[in-house]
Amino acid sequence: MKPLPFIMSVVIGAALAGVAFSANAQTIKVGVPMILSGAGAQFGTPILDGAKMYVEEINAAGGVLGRKIELVSRDTKSRPDEAVRVARELILRDKVDFLVGTFTSAEGTAISQVAKENEMLTIVPGPKTDRLTAPDQLHPYIFRSSANTTTEGRAGAELAMTMKVKRVATIAPDFAYGRDAVGAFVAHLKKLMPDVQIVDQQWPKLNEADYSAFVTAQMASKPELVFSVICCGNFDAFAKQAKALGYFTALKGNFIGVAEAGSVEMLKALGDDYPLGVWGNTYDAYNFVGGPAHKAYLEKVKKFTKEPIPSSWVIQGYISMQFLTEAIKKAGSTDSKKVSQALKGLTISSPQGPITMRARDQQADRAMLWGQVVKGQGVPFPMLTNIRSVAVDRLMD
Amino acid sequence: MDLAFVPAQLLSGLTTAMTLFVTASGLSLIFGVMGILNFAHGSLFMLGAFCLVSLLQYFGLSGPGFFAALAGASLLVGLLGAVLERFLISRLYGKEELFQLLFTYSLVLIIADLVRMYWGVNQQKVSRPAMLSGNTAIGTVSFPDYNLFLIVTGFVIVGALWWVLGFTRLGKLVRAAAQDREMLGMLGKNVRLIQTGVFATGSLLAGLSGALMAPLVSVVPGMDADIIIVLFIIVVIGGLGSLWGTLLGSIVYGLSYSFTVYFFPQLALFVVAALMVVTLSIRPQGLLGKRVE
Repeated sequence: MKPLPFIMSVVIGAALAGVAFSANAQTIKVGVPMILSGAGAQFGTPILDGAKMYVEEINAAGGVLGRKIELVSRDTKSRPDEAVRVARELILRDKVDFLVGTFTSAEGTAISQVAKENEMLTIVPGPKTDRLTAPDQLHPYIFRSSANTTTEGRAGAELAMTMKVKRVATIAPDFAYGRDAVGAFVAHLKKLMPDVQIVDQQWPKLNEADYSAFVTAQMASKPELVFSVICCGNFDAFAKQAKALGYFTALKGNFIGVAEAGSVEMLKALGDDYPLGVWGNTYDAYNFVGGPAHKAYLEKVKKFTKEPIPSSWVIQGYISMQFLTEAIKKAGSTDSKKVSQALKGLTISSPQGPITMRARDQQADRAMLWGQVVKGQGVPFPMLTNIRSVAVDRLMD
Repeated sequence: MDLAFVPAQLLSGLTTAMTLFVTASGLSLIFGVMGILNFAHGSLFMLGAFCLVSLLQYFGLSGPGFFAALAGASLLVGLLGAVLERFLISRLYGKEELFQLLFTYSLVLIIADLVRMYWGVNQQKVSRPAMLSGNTAIGTVSFPDYNLFLIVTGFVIVGALWWVLGFTRLGKLVRAAAQDREMLGMLGKNVRLIQTGVFATGSLLAGLSGALMAPLVSVVPGMDADIIIVLFIIVVIGGLGSLWGTLLGSIVYGLSYSFTVYFFPQLALFVVAALMVVTLSIRPQGLLGKRVE
């Protein structure tokens, strides 16, 4: 009975080699630098889930160009320097073919440099600052599947115009994203309503824990409407403190919260503390009626994440991977240069309908969902109503 | 000049000051008596908030339920402090301070991951209890009851610490332990018990303040890192290890923050950090701290 072990070892060895071979030479590796710890993990984790879900689907259907996709994720710890470090590590050590990741604007602009240096095609699903795709910063390897501060600020201004008030104030975190979004909002609102007065502007720091001083200071200037960019998981702290101080009552519901203040995560986190009547935006909503594709998508997310009410962030990972995969298919190659060419002007049919990666600024015409917050029906927390997808093509330069 | 803003900024500054005092007093107490700079104090603060969230599900959000959960969360964190001191931190006494620093810093990482594993990454929902969600008019300003409750609680804790440390036998023992542990041991007192008790009390204060803050802040992983920096600013300004110093530091921090936000919103962070720099260069031991010889 001697030959058997020998044969077995040959068979097993061959099988192992085969597996190793297909894993190394056949899969397309995509590095995902993403916030997976600290307060930002609530966004990073579902975005990564979305990417994983898309990859599972595409691999089950045979992959792309006959090759499977493999995701390699790394925690950026919400720090631009860490994002740069893990991106380099993904490129040099893990030999990834593409990058899809980062959440904050600071991380996004930092990783754009890595993409440029390494000529590595990178799609960012979260960062919104206009700087990322501004003409002097743009290079062939950076693409954005999220909305940007221009579209968010201008859409906010159009909504503000319908409220017919003169005294407007803003509150936003003091970093690239908050500054850019408020800038776009104020400039557009002044164009739409030349007689508008900007009576107060507050700039609390990112992750401020104590908003009461900013809220009372803002209330002292008696605004009739507030445009808020309180973002990144800070909106619940802000809203709890502001509501206690009578801020939303004084504004009579004339409050526009961008930066995903209308996301189901925020509605859940605030519950009864959510100020009813205010306007918020979000990337996705479980109660948005967006056609059969969206409905089927939500069912898949529920199953994949085992959450009865799907997260609003999953879609950003999903469509980013969809853009990448379809560009690879179109280019017929995994060469970053060729895929970059293929991505320009590419339209995907996302669960929320067609989205186009504009050729001129490598920015997706990503429409966000906007709605007004009312008491929840059938759910134990408030919900968005009159949800509309605000097309952004005409809002962009 | 219209001075209508003064009461509102004053009260919001005081809320900040008194809640931060409760957190900082625990840090300061542990340092003053045991000489340990506990980096994980912010983590215990975070645990207090998360424990409150879970306990509220048992006790309900009614008035008594909230207070039961508040007490439960503080006691749980205090108990954890006692266990940590008994089995782990006690091994570091008499060793280099660097080890304590590294040890408490590893605790930060471990607790952060445990919280993420148990509670997940999303924001937890905590509201103010119904009985404290109203407003009270003070002069011309209507002020949230919950903030008033926080201010009063802060002062109650100032009073309690002052009385226990200054006027009781227990306080005398604790002060003696701060001055000369060995002598106290030779006098036949159980120093180990005092050390465990002090660490547990400091942890309890951290847990209590986290639970108290929970209805007003984002209860989310990461809240540990945000608070610890503020705590260091406060204890540096006031004087680490000193009760009155910590109180003064908290009030200076809270009020200067709140009024700078009103007058020069852009400079709020700059001003508090500058206060720390000035204190460090003129009185490195803090406003009311004792000079280390």
